[in-house]
Amino acid sequence: MSNAIDQTRRMLSLVTYLRERPGAEVAEVARAFGITERELINDLNVLPMCGTSFRGGDLLDIDTDGERIWWHNVDDVAQPLRLAADEATALLVAARAVAGLPGLRERDRQALTRAVAKIEDAAGESAESSARVGVTFEAEGQVFADIDRALSERRLIWLRYWSHGRGGMTEREVDPIRLVTEGHTYLEGWCRTSEDRRVFRLDRIAEIKILDEPADPPRLEPRDLSAGLVNPAADDPEVVVEVGPGGRWVAEYYTHDAAEELPDGGLRITLRSADPAGLRPLALRLGREGRIVSPPQLADQARDAALAALELYREGQV
Amino acid sequence: MAIAKAERLMNLALCLMNTRRPLSKKELRESIEAYREAWQQGSEDAFNRMFERDKDDLRELGLVIDVDENALDGEIGYLARRDRNRLPEIALDAEEAAALSVAARVWQQAKMSGAASGALQKLRAAGVPFSEDTEPGALQPRIPAREAAFEPLLVAARDRRPVGFEYRKAGAATAEPRSVEPWALECWRGHWYLAGWDRDRQDARVFRLSRITGKVRSRAGSFTGAVPEHVDVRAVVASFAGEGATATATVRLRRGAGFPLRTKALSTRQVDGDWDELEIPYGNGLGADLAEFGPDLLVLGPEELRVDVIDRLRAVAGLKGADSDGLDEAGAAV
Repeated sequence: MSNAIDQTRRMLSLVTYLRERPGAEVAEVARAFGITERELINDLNVLPMCGTSFRGGDLLDIDTDGERIWWHNVDDVAQPLRLAADEATALLVAARAVAGLPGLRERDRQALTRAVAKIEDAAGESAESSARVGVTFEAEGQVFADIDRALSERRLIWLRYWSHGRGGMTEREVDPIRLVTEGHTYLEGWCRTSEDRRVFRLDRIAEIKILDEPADPPRLEPRDLSAGLVNPAADDPEVVVEVGPGGRWVAEYYTHDAAEELPDGGLRITLRSADPAGLRPLALRLGREGRIVSPPQLADQARDAALAALELYREGQV
Repeated sequence: MAIAKAERLMNLALCLMNTRRPLSKKELRESIEAYREAWQQGSEDAFNRMFERDKDDLRELGLVIDVDENALDGEIGYLARRDRNRLPEIALDAEEAAALSVAARVWQQAKMSGAASGALQKLRAAGVPFSEDTEPGALQPRIPAREAAFEPLLVAARDRRPVGFEYRKAGAATAEPRSVEPWALECWRGHWYLAGWDRDRQDARVFRLSRITGKVRSRAGSFTGAVPEHVDVRAVVASFAGEGATATATVRLRRGAGFPLRTKALSTRQVDGDWDELEIPYGNGLGADLAEFGPDLLVLGPEELRVDVIDRLRAVAGLKGADSDGLDEAGAAV
């Protein structure tokens, strides 16, 4: 769905675009503008109501038979328009961030750097406020480059991967699907070892090998990542954590179903996890800042781990 | 039915771009049906408000609208001069265009993602050879901005407008009002931060957007001081996150355990069949990081870190504080 601002912006570019392309195909124009044909037809229904004077009949004479688009009174109003400050900022900030992604192919990085310079030139003063916004992507460059190669050669990869929750090293064979960067970089792939779709954080990959075997991930619906990379399933077990003011960060780092304010300035956070035992590090980390309310087994595991650790200090062991 | 806003904006844009002399408000009202309707059915005021909003919206879209006196009658008029609104010649090759279209998909926030695709549409209309293949590739960098404060702060920093908001400091039980001149926004590890001048504290401060509660309100007036040429938000945030540490700590780590810690170690030496000894950077928040490893890790020093970790473990174990009764010897220095 587009709002009035986005639609106006698009229609302004549309008239410039159509001016150069008499008889343009509806399907092609919709693709070019990243909209559905229905949205485009809607724009094309609005444009004939627009012009410089409705009473003088000086309206854009644009029509379509649903297949092709014709503009009968093309005039020079449709010049390419300068970039707005927000447009230049959106494009430049993103392009600079991607260019700084460790492991990006050198050729792509150079193309992006050249493009940034040209956009800065063309945008002029509109580019100025882009200096006020910065985004850093993190990735382990060599691992990133290896996975990128495996993806383009469609080959299976072998990983030695640190399972954070379980606190142990695992070995897996993975059909790579995509590399997603959101702060950190993650590999999404089909894990043959667990026969499931999994997300691996690049900084927890201890070792990677590109195997000769071709990758063959099952056809999967791309996951919707809008709520974050880790989306628990609806039937995953529930975990309830109560934190004081010092533990409010939990709500920022963990996708949760509910975060209820507590009278002391803390939160009661309800989340779901396929493997609640994997939250042991969180339970240990909380210290005085919070506690696991349920499941009780998780609280017990954390308490046992803490007692075992204290035992080490008591014994002066090692 | 009221005329759709997009149609009204489009008409205003075309009128302003197509004129060679400033058009008065009255002329525009005569030419644009939606304005005539608003004026006839509403009031002079309703029309005026609508017109002001529409001009602001078009300016947001990049249109430079000049306000001039009409030479004939001295009345104030508006026009969008072609030379000031034309995109300069820009020649991008196919490779550059492809790289840019990947970057344009990165924003996951409505305003920025709309602006990025708007920029591509303008460039495409100007003849830049973007491919029409819209399938995302296997590389998908994403910039999220789920924080409600993002958009108002972005606009305030752009327009150099002071803002006010309620802010809950890390670990604070309640939020406090802050009055800030916003300088720059930075996204690090997926979280947004604001750097700016804190008017009450008379000092530069960094705020985490997720800790802003309630609405960001625009303040009247302008900045009281100059915006620094270079604002390194990241360095400030990274030091809070324990990066850039100059001190070191010594820990024992069970063999095979604690991979993430091993990648940060300055040195690692095998003690026996079960344990390794690691020297690691000692920055902010290390105690919490180390507590996560439970019985796989033992802090040897420095002493305050050892006490911190023991105190955290005692809390999880349900024991009283290290300074009270109970397993005192567990917390005692060796």
